[in-house]
Amino acid sequence: MFKIVSGFVRYNTTIRMERQHSSVVRTPLDSVKVQRRSKSRSYRQSYRSCLGAASRLGSTPAFTARRLNTSRKAPKLHNITEKVNAEQLALLMKSEWKLSYVTPLYQFRHTQLKSYSRQLSAFIAAEKQQGLAVEVEGSQNSFRVSFSAVQGMAGTDDDAETVLIQIHSKSIFARQDEHQRLIWSGWLTCINGNPDYLRSLPKDFICLPLFGSSGSEVLTSSVQSWFQQNFDCCFGPLEISHTSLQWLVALWTNCHTESNIQHLKMIWSIPVVPPLQITYTVNPQDAWDLWNSVRKSPQEEKETEEEEGRSIDIEEVMQFMQGLKSHFYRHFRLDLSAGSLKQVSTALGSAKYNGRIKISNSKYMITTLTLLTEGALLKMPI
Amino acid sequence: MDDLSRRLLQRLVRRIPAQALKTTLGKWDRLTAAQRQSVDFTQPKWTITETLLAIFEENEWTMKHVTELEMIHIIDNPNQGMWYAFQLMDPEDDAKSVELTQFKEQFKAHLSELVRHVSVKIKKHTDEAVWIRIAWGDSFSRPNHMKPTYVVHHLQTPYVFVTSLTSKQKPLLSQALILSTRHQGIKDANLSGRKLAAIRDLLMKQYQQVFPTKYPGTLTEKNQTVSNPRIEREQAELGENRFQMACEAFGDGMLPQLQSAIYKLETKFRDHTNKTMTEREELPFKCVVKFSSTNLLESLRECAASGIASTPVTPLLSSIPLKGRNYFVITDNGLGPSSQTNQPQN
Repeated sequence: MFKIVSGFVRYNTTIRMERQHSSVVRTPLDSVKVQRRSKSRSYRQSYRSCLGAASRLGSTPAFTARRLNTSRKAPKLHNITEKVNAEQLALLMKSEWKLSYVTPLYQFRHTQLKSYSRQLSAFIAAEKQQGLAVEVEGSQNSFRVSFSAVQGMAGTDDDAETVLIQIHSKSIFARQDEHQRLIWSGWLTCINGNPDYLRSLPKDFICLPLFGSSGSEVLTSSVQSWFQQNFDCCFGPLEISHTSLQWLVALWTNCHTESNIQHLKMIWSIPVVPPLQITYTVNPQDAWDLWNSVRKSPQEEKETEEEEGRSIDIEEVMQFMQGLKSHFYRHFRLDLSAGSLKQVSTALGSAKYNGRIKISNSKYMITTLTLLTEGALLKMPI
Repeated sequence: MDDLSRRLLQRLVRRIPAQALKTTLGKWDRLTAAQRQSVDFTQPKWTITETLLAIFEENEWTMKHVTELEMIHIIDNPNQGMWYAFQLMDPEDDAKSVELTQFKEQFKAHLSELVRHVSVKIKKHTDEAVWIRIAWGDSFSRPNHMKPTYVVHHLQTPYVFVTSLTSKQKPLLSQALILSTRHQGIKDANLSGRKLAAIRDLLMKQYQQVFPTKYPGTLTEKNQTVSNPRIEREQAELGENRFQMACEAFGDGMLPQLQSAIYKLETKFRDHTNKTMTEREELPFKCVVKFSSTNLLESLRECAASGIASTPVTPLLSSIPLKGRNYFVITDNGLGPSSQTNQPQN
């Protein structure tokens, strides 16, 4: 616990200490005294004492919000193709992204993106000179960083605008008009973030808790350390939990009538020696029929919800998984519950336990990112 | 030495680790002692290649010699691709009397009748297996030695193992095999894997199997201080029982190294808690299940022994070692396509 003390210094150091540092991140500097009192308490207590009534838990004093929502809206067709720039959207769907969580950014301004582009370019150039990023590209290359806001990519008005970062490489011997190669891209987003939480943040903080990156690890860590130094935030790896993966199984299957999912593929790993991997691929129509059979009948739902689409309950998700598992068990007499779900994929996208996601259909991007935003907020050490 | 043989030799040297190359050259037994000494295996690969190329040129060796070298290496290191098993069917009366020389002549003759340009090399290995290397061409192109097919056949057995065969070449090879081994047909044995020895052992049942026995438990009396010795003993008995059944299903000790098993399930969804699905008219619930591991049978044995898989082991899983296959199509009525297995009723 002694490290809490060091947490009072505005940190720009490593992610490893994030837990101990946690309370500082979202708290203005003048509230140091409040934190000092929490010094000897547990992590959870300090979380509570710092946030107080303004916590995103709202009126719930208990820590129920430490778990994922148990009910969510059925994915609606989001025609974000109309709202979002096609080129940006194509970039978001092109790669598989490695996910991290980010604590709220202190004094980040969407109006300063041009200046951030210059600063980050300079930062990477400096790191390169120190020999940190040399292996990324030949040393004759220079980097050009560009920040841009992705307009229209948000769930509600409380969500901060998504920020896209691209790093192009260019040989310094190349002519002006020569093509620049995209070598790294990343984004920070918040889709349907918990409004109570977002509103509880002090004015100077912008919350973009979900960070996705694609490209060399060296550049990823350069970008992360630049953010840490400038916006007093911290990054940490974000796994896609067993429960989130099960949610995706259901959410994606639920889309089948509107957009063919082609297949529902799940990979389980069973903890025996040597490790056993089970790939279970279900015909899309049969998966949907099973899903439909476990959905609660519409009469049980409130009428008001009908217009917005029926919400999906965690019980339905679990029943669906149970159905899949029992069909498996009937044949192989092997209990999939003994293992863990590691990967889910359909034509709409793929998600892996190690925090890699690919979204292949823009219509359901919002649904998927909502779930991941929620996961990132929960993983944040504050 | 033509350009093609030179390229094949270069690739061969590049792919074989220096020490293995030394062994292979030793077994090949064509180099003189002086030539063998002139190759320095501590040198970089391109230097070794240069030396060997010079020796080949000097002796006026050709493609035939390079392929010999390749065969020796593949026979010693067969686990470099997927091996597929086939089974010869309906032997003729004289099938049992087919011996090596006759087989060699017949096979070459039949295959060259079917394909205009084909290069076949046959070698008998010490373990009674006949190794065949086929470089395929067609009416217009010369045999492609860069992509050879390898076939392993144990004479007087119905089993054939093949690697790197395209679907176009398959009927040609099948035809030549049927005729030269004096059989009437050949079928897919639904078994494939990266380790040739493993799939051979599975098909020929050359591994340690355990036969069901009711044997008295060899339990030693537990310390009396245990809270409830009866429960302890019962659990130990259950554990031992599971282990025995796991071994009966999959075998004891080291098991043949199989990497995967695939089941295509087209069976009805039956679950008493889900009426809607159970009552779906005649519609099967279609899915494909693939089990994979570095040693599948050992993984499955541990699943059964640890209780993750219930015992007795389901016939679907125990069919892998029992029937020597790892691809199954499962239907309810058992009258599906070529490779179905009856669904056990429960």
